[in-house]
Amino acid sequence: MASRSLLLPLAVAAAVAVFVVTELAYQHSEHALLSLGQRAAARTAIATVIRRMLDAETAQRGYLITGRTEYLGPSDEAWAEVEQAFNKLARHYAEDPESTTVLRDMRDRAAERQSELAATIRLYDGGQHARWRDLVLTNIGREKMEAVRSHAETLLAREDKLVAAERSSIVSTLGVNRVAVHVFTALSLLALVLYLRKRAALERLNEHHAAALQTERDDLERQVLRRTAELTELAQHLQTAREDERSRLARELHDELGALLTAAKLDLARLRRAMPDPNEAQEQRLQHLIRIIDEGIALKRNIIETLRPSSLSNLGLVPALEIQAQEFAARSGLKVHTALQAVALPDDTQISVYRLVQEALTNIAKHAGATQVHITLRPAQDKVHITVRDDGKGFDPARTLRGSHGLTGMRYRVEAAGGVMKVHSAPGRGSEVQAWVPLGTQPEHETAP
Amino acid sequence: MQVLRTFIVEDSPLILENLVATLEEVARVQVIGTAPDETSALSWLKSDPEACDLLIIDIFLKSGSGLGVLRSASQLAHSPKRVVLTNYATPDMRKKCAELGADRVFDKSSELEDLIAYCGRLAEGGDSSPVPLS
Repeated sequence: MASRSLLLPLAVAAAVAVFVVTELAYQHSEHALLSLGQRAAARTAIATVIRRMLDAETAQRGYLITGRTEYLGPSDEAWAEVEQAFNKLARHYAEDPESTTVLRDMRDRAAERQSELAATIRLYDGGQHARWRDLVLTNIGREKMEAVRSHAETLLAREDKLVAAERSSIVSTLGVNRVAVHVFTALSLLALVLYLRKRAALERLNEHHAAALQTERDDLERQVLRRTAELTELAQHLQTAREDERSRLARELHDELGALLTAAKLDLARLRRAMPDPNEAQEQRLQHLIRIIDEGIALKRNIIETLRPSSLSNLGLVPALEIQAQEFAARSGLKVHTALQAVALPDDTQISVYRLVQEALTNIAKHAGATQVHITLRPAQDKVHITVRDDGKGFDPARTLRGSHGLTGMRYRVEAAGGVMKVHSAPGRGSEVQAWVPLGTQPEHETAP
Repeated sequence: MQVLRTFIVEDSPLILENLVATLEEVARVQVIGTAPDETSALSWLKSDPEACDLLIIDIFLKSGSGLGVLRSASQLAHSPKRVVLTNYATPDMRKKCAELGADRVFDKSSELEDLIAYCGRLAEGGDSSPVPLS
């Protein structure tokens, strides 16, 4: 992360550097361009000095030749302009001592030339013609003019040199600027490329994480599904084991206890034959014994019936449910209505349905406070639809504690049989247990084993 | 008056012992053989069918079923009376036994007196009445 914390300052430094370089280059170039403009003006001024001096000279000559005063006007104008040009140049060279020296000498020479021309005109105006001619014929004027011209050339040459220097300075400044901009642009591009690459890497990482997360979620889901399946299987196994155990107990009671009771009855029959004329007390004891054994037989039947309803195995599901409903109605005093259609269900599922109805009825007796109960059984496509409905006080399924009312046990039983169970209820509106179990291929009516 | 020669197919030794003693004591019954399962019952029936007047058959045996014995016994040339004595005397079972040629069906717990009475009547040469279903 150290590289990242360095990156921002570096980027800022680079940006500031480019800003400074560009700004300096601009300032410098602007100054140089301004200076170039001033130099151009100076050159014009120098040229003006030479031209206007020549104009003044020409005007003087015209006057001397023609004597017409109108020539004198332009001469004065020319000198005024020369003066202006010199002033301009003086300002221009204010900070250049060397050029100022040259300029001052040039100005002195020009002034001397002006005074010479003025002297000539004064002589002319005074009528001293021989003397102005002499003055004109001397080379003094020409020499002064040459001096001025030579100074002008010196200044112009110096200007040329400076202009060239400034131009090259501008070029080099622009060059530096150009390099800086190129470098910065290249760096920016590089940074962008790096950033994009980093972002792509980050995105790949994110995608990877998301995929890993999804995989983990899928794994968890699979695990949950597997566990649920295992639990269902276990519940089914326990259910089957319980029913098997009940069947075994029922069989044993039936066979062993049945044999004992039968033997007792046989003994009783022999006893009666052995005692053709029992006295009253003996007859009483015999009758009592018969009653006790018959009660034992009835008790055995009841226990066996509870363990494994023989009506179910003997008569089939519909009669077994009818009997159950009648017995429940007799026991509880509720009105039980049944609408049962014959359906083909495997033995295990028949027991499940029988027990489901049994538990639903037990719940109704315990909790519902109902007066009417409806039980229906009917085929529904490839399933069997079972409902047990009461008109009791109902309950809120969402707020009913898990495991209460034996609903969970009922649900497990139905799911173990491959079915689905639903409970509909609301406070004050009764309750309804619905279940759908898959149809089997076995006939619904099977005789006892 | 004659002695009722009886063969009993019953897998419970306790019931068998008491049944034999009771029948021989209270009715004119002579138990000439017993079998605890279908196979031995069938082999006895094949070897000496003429010797027997009455067959008492339990339906649920250690191996095989009394129903098989009943079916074979019905096909004998000289067929003895066939009585089923069972703990599963449901209407269905009674119907099935009748179809297989049973003369009577008795419940092991509640109809022993009836069986004894039936045996008595047979010994006296009576009871050729049709088979009641319950």
